[in-house]
Amino acid sequence: MNIVVCVKQVPDTESPRKLKSDDNTLDRAAADGVINELDEYAIEEALLLKEAHGGEVTVLTMGPDKATDSIRKALAMGADKAVHLVDDALAGSDALGTSYAIQQVLGRTGFDLVILGAESTDARTGMLAAMLAERLGVPQLSLANKVEIDGSSITVQRITDYGYDKVEASLPAVVSVVEKINEPRYPSFKGIMAAKKKPVEKLGVADAGIDADKVGLAGAATEVVDFADAPPREKGQIVTDEGDGGAKIAEFLASKKFV
Amino acid sequence: MSFIESEERRALRAAVAELGAKYGPSYYVAKAKAGEKTDELWNEAAALGYLGVNVPEEYGGGGGGIGDLAAVCEELAAAGCPLLLMVVSPAICATIIARSGTEGQKKHWLPRFADGSVKMAFAITEPDAGSNAHCITTQARRDGDGWVLSGQKTFISGVDEADAVLFVSRTEDQKGNLRPSLFIVPTDAPGFTWTPIEMEIVSPEKQFICHLDEVRLPYEALVGEEDGGLLQLFAGLNPERIMATAMGAGIGRLALDKAVSYARERQVFKVPIGAHQGLAHPLAAAKVELELARLMGQKAAWLYDSGDDMGAGEAANMAKYAAAEAAVHCVDQAIQTHGGNGLTTEYGVGMLAGVVRLMRIAPVSREMILNFVAQHSLGLPKSY
Repeated sequence: MNIVVCVKQVPDTESPRKLKSDDNTLDRAAADGVINELDEYAIEEALLLKEAHGGEVTVLTMGPDKATDSIRKALAMGADKAVHLVDDALAGSDALGTSYAIQQVLGRTGFDLVILGAESTDARTGMLAAMLAERLGVPQLSLANKVEIDGSSITVQRITDYGYDKVEASLPAVVSVVEKINEPRYPSFKGIMAAKKKPVEKLGVADAGIDADKVGLAGAATEVVDFADAPPREKGQIVTDEGDGGAKIAEFLASKKFV
Repeated sequence: MSFIESEERRALRAAVAELGAKYGPSYYVAKAKAGEKTDELWNEAAALGYLGVNVPEEYGGGGGGIGDLAAVCEELAAAGCPLLLMVVSPAICATIIARSGTEGQKKHWLPRFADGSVKMAFAITEPDAGSNAHCITTQARRDGDGWVLSGQKTFISGVDEADAVLFVSRTEDQKGNLRPSLFIVPTDAPGFTWTPIEMEIVSPEKQFICHLDEVRLPYEALVGEEDGGLLQLFAGLNPERIMATAMGAGIGRLALDKAVSYARERQVFKVPIGAHQGLAHPLAAAKVELELARLMGQKAAWLYDSGDDMGAGEAANMAKYAAAEAAVHCVDQAIQTHGGNGLTTEYGVGMLAGVVRLMRIAPVSREMILNFVAQHSLGLPKSY
């Protein structure tokens, strides 16, 4: 099985994130880059599926040169090879442009299954999986917390507000995963040492047959017109226990849909 | 040479730091206070190959060097989980067995050091032979085709959780300057007993006095040469010092991180206290000391891994000295920065004071390192 995992490098969520004042895009140089958290779950799921069914796991990353660190980590975790789509023309792409660019690369690598994290911690649009499935003309199985493959059919458990749905489709398909799906592994020392020898193919826009007018800030269909700092956190709600503290807390959690 | 670590070393550090963050200081302290061991962390780090990075590949290890093992130790310490037995088991014992052991000993022990399934303590210090190893009296007597070992050791780390202890002793007819014979003694060997030493240090690993009363061992318990040169012993002591450097640097980083984030947030007189030079400069000075110690530690590891034992000896001693001083200064200034909070349990700074203070004494005291540097590096006359 040919599994492709889309891995995005995002600014470390531990450090303050900023937009650039000149073009309202994310300042990627300002913070350390890490693998988008949900993408680590996607990598883990791909590795588990490979261990169970055989095949090959390819990491696909679109991002600047420094995204190499994230690619190496994915390879150290156990992925077999990587494709790094890197080109200044891609900077500032929106979800539409990104999905188009990734579609073009997937046309080269081929795929039985594409796995992505359900959203990124920087842009948080959560749209890429849907757009990609649409462009590729294959089924999308979103928000999966369990994936099973049987021959050419794939079944996922999909998280909903009231429980979960069981969704079945035929391969090839696109799956987006949530953090309940597994526990991502740490790279082992042997994995780290082996990662350097694994192939990483670097592609520019032209190599991948991408129309440069459809990507980048200029090709974006959406635009960030303004931004402001997040307001300071409001004071929390204090529940005083007068014998009904438990019920009040449950009520609060229910109002926020936590329970 | 380069002052920048390789891509793999940096990736190893990042991976270990991530694992360490999953456990963190609260896990470590809870284990220490409950009298329990950090088995979960040890086992997970071991399964990932982090504890066997320096064991040769042909015996299932990572095939890396002491520099890699030191990186693991430093990152775990910086995450609040200094694993003292890393200094002893994979660094000292595995190195000595890999360098001086028979093929049989290597096949028996090294794969288990590689996967962390075995822990081996190391016993050199005696009540009357502390810094002066030449006074060691633990004695091995030939008996038929085996050995009988008797003696006493003190300040031996982790005997209660070890599978075996590597004892430094001398054969019965060997007098004068130490020509050490090293023996592996299983912790269940009849005649081998130990008692804990109460310490004022927050640590899951305990210290012990060991008693060997006519402990009978097979011939293969001997590692390396009978009455061997000091070199086979030093093969393990340089890694010990390099690891002590890494642990000191890690704890220093932890203390400094805590101090810096507190100094950024805590406001008195309308500005963060870190804006006051009275606090900023000592933290900056501690940072300088820390980075210098780390750099010397990396040099020592590099020399050791490239086979220069003598060169590594000088660098490892200097690094260990510098790391202990830097760690003491980092922790002391971190406490000062925190004010009263510095000695609370909650902030987790005060409890580092005991362990870094110990690093000025063990595994080799500040004074003995200065003696070494005075005599060997400067050529001054010997004082003892």
